[in-house]
Amino acid sequence: MSMTEGPRPLRTSKSEQQTEASEAVGRLPGTSADVPRRGGMGGWSDRWREMPRQKQWLILIPVVILAFFLPLMNIPFITTEPGNDWPLACQAMAIFALVAVGLNIVIGYAGLLDLGYIAFFAVGSYTAAMLTSPDSAFIKIPYLWTIPVAIAVSMFVGVLLGLPTLRLRGDYLAIVTLGFGEIVRILATLIPAMKGQPGFQNVGHPPGTGPDGIPVFANSNGTPWYWLTLGILIVLLFLVGNMERSRVGRAWIAIREDEDAAETMGVPTFKYKVWAFALGAGVGGMAGALMGGQVGFVNNQKFDVVTSILFVAAVVMGGSGNKVGAIVGGALVAYIPLRFTAIAEYKFLIFGIALILIMIYRPQGLIPAKQRLLAYGTKAYAAVRARFSGKGANPSGTGGTGTGGTGKSAPPAPKPNAEGATS
Amino acid sequence: MTLLELNNISVHYGRIQAIHDMSFTVEEGEIVSLIGANGAGKTTTMKTISGLLNPSAGSIKFMGEDITKMKAHIRVVQGISQAPEGRGIFPAMTVLENLDMGTFGRKDRTGVPEDLERVFTLFPRLKEREKQFGGTMSGGEQQMLAIGRALMSRPKLLLLDEPSMGLAPQFIRQIFKIVTEINGQGTTVLLVEQNANQALARAHRAFVLETGAITHSGTGKELLANPAIKEAYLGVG
Repeated sequence: MSMTEGPRPLRTSKSEQQTEASEAVGRLPGTSADVPRRGGMGGWSDRWREMPRQKQWLILIPVVILAFFLPLMNIPFITTEPGNDWPLACQAMAIFALVAVGLNIVIGYAGLLDLGYIAFFAVGSYTAAMLTSPDSAFIKIPYLWTIPVAIAVSMFVGVLLGLPTLRLRGDYLAIVTLGFGEIVRILATLIPAMKGQPGFQNVGHPPGTGPDGIPVFANSNGTPWYWLTLGILIVLLFLVGNMERSRVGRAWIAIREDEDAAETMGVPTFKYKVWAFALGAGVGGMAGALMGGQVGFVNNQKFDVVTSILFVAAVVMGGSGNKVGAIVGGALVAYIPLRFTAIAEYKFLIFGIALILIMIYRPQGLIPAKQRLLAYGTKAYAAVRARFSGKGANPSGTGGTGTGGTGKSAPPAPKPNAEGATS
Repeated sequence: MTLLELNNISVHYGRIQAIHDMSFTVEEGEIVSLIGANGAGKTTTMKTISGLLNPSAGSIKFMGEDITKMKAHIRVVQGISQAPEGRGIFPAMTVLENLDMGTFGRKDRTGVPEDLERVFTLFPRLKEREKQFGGTMSGGEQQMLAIGRALMSRPKLLLLDEPSMGLAPQFIRQIFKIVTEINGQGTTVLLVEQNANQALARAHRAFVLETGAITHSGTGKELLANPAIKEAYLGVG
């Protein structure tokens, strides 16, 4: 599924697949059939997972290089010009992708419907603006330092919101977060230090001046901003990918699937929900700080709830629970109104219809999720499986090595499968 | 030794009282059945023991220790494991991933392969289907998975909430046979059932629950022979 997946923990060897296949032929009546999970692009992601590591890199590296060259390539038909500057459009896509990856932690992994994600984006933007803009009365710090500060502040706000509200479930949580999204915007209007509609001009940017005396990170110069955002996005993907396969990731998926069951498996559900909320908020805040710096102007007009819904649409369209899907969804949501300027006014109508169609024909999104959840103990499982696959078709395992070997089975046993996996 | 002890437990949903002043014990090594009609408070009792619900009065002791205020996810580590009503499996996880989730709270990773073998031996069907998604399995298989997953934490007390619900008769017999087998391996079982016949036949002791209170108790055989219970729960008059 993922473009940035780390070392794959386990791969089934050919021999085991063959035993699986032979079992499938002699299936008993009255048992459920192996339902193929999905077709279409799901087949792609399955094929990706089956690929050897080196081959994945062979595809991945050109894709990343291509992504970095994107703002420099003005491809006809794909480009947003002449209506909108192409490098700036790339930057907008990257920001939306970043937001979608962050929101995907909350919605896709932990299954918490957060309709007020824009609030964290706003907190990040305001943090960057208030610490760099000459219009602000606060102390000033270099722009790049505002990014970690924005992450920390929005994570803190995320925990603050999460602690009381994450005891709610489903619809109730959605309503509370929806309200929270509005609260931040209204606070920005009411609190004098946040300056309401006049907002903050000349928000800072990273240092560096070009040979012509113009700053490298000028507001109108999309390419360096895009590179910065893309770099951050790639680092984030590695982090999220690792988290996904960790204990935390498994706990989130379990909570999403069935919260009570997760709790009775020993998952401290509340703690993990707050974590998901906080991490999602941190990414949102970071995206907000990048956006604030690039646009150079932050006021209370940009953080409406409708944009928040657009973020949710990006995650759901792309494939909730899949970070590559989130990137595609986020980029599309940013790209379409910029490319097709004639219909940009109707973007909410168009995304509304697109969402309905996707829900009908592709309810799991454009790129459906499938995490690898066996985070640890995979070798041990491989050992057990190996021993069982020898007599896999024999259901009356009581007399076999199954029970007889239990006492001394804990250390790694002969494992033909695991050898195939480590190569 | 008394494994589980409920003392004067009352449970409320808002202002509605679901359990009235309930007390009973489960001894180590037993199969104890709670039988009762819909709405008698069976699932509420189970959720109170597993920690998903908090009692409004009374106390719960597990292995002599008061666990009334203990969170559900810590009770698992202490040795109480539940196969919830309606199975509660994770549909988008494979069978093996579901079983792996059952070990989440475990501290000793070394015993996991052993327990996986035990589960695969009890339920060979799960081994056959280890890569299948939980949501695509039949009801009986899902029930096996729920029980198997609960066993993966190597519990001292296994709570089974209506394991026979919605299953075909041959599956019900099979599930109960396996419950006896699990018990034979040293796990204490507390069982909640509407299917009184099997639940009583397999149980060492049993309680009858009516509108949130225990009305009858005795050994499984005693209750099977009780005419009032026969009429109300076994469908013979």
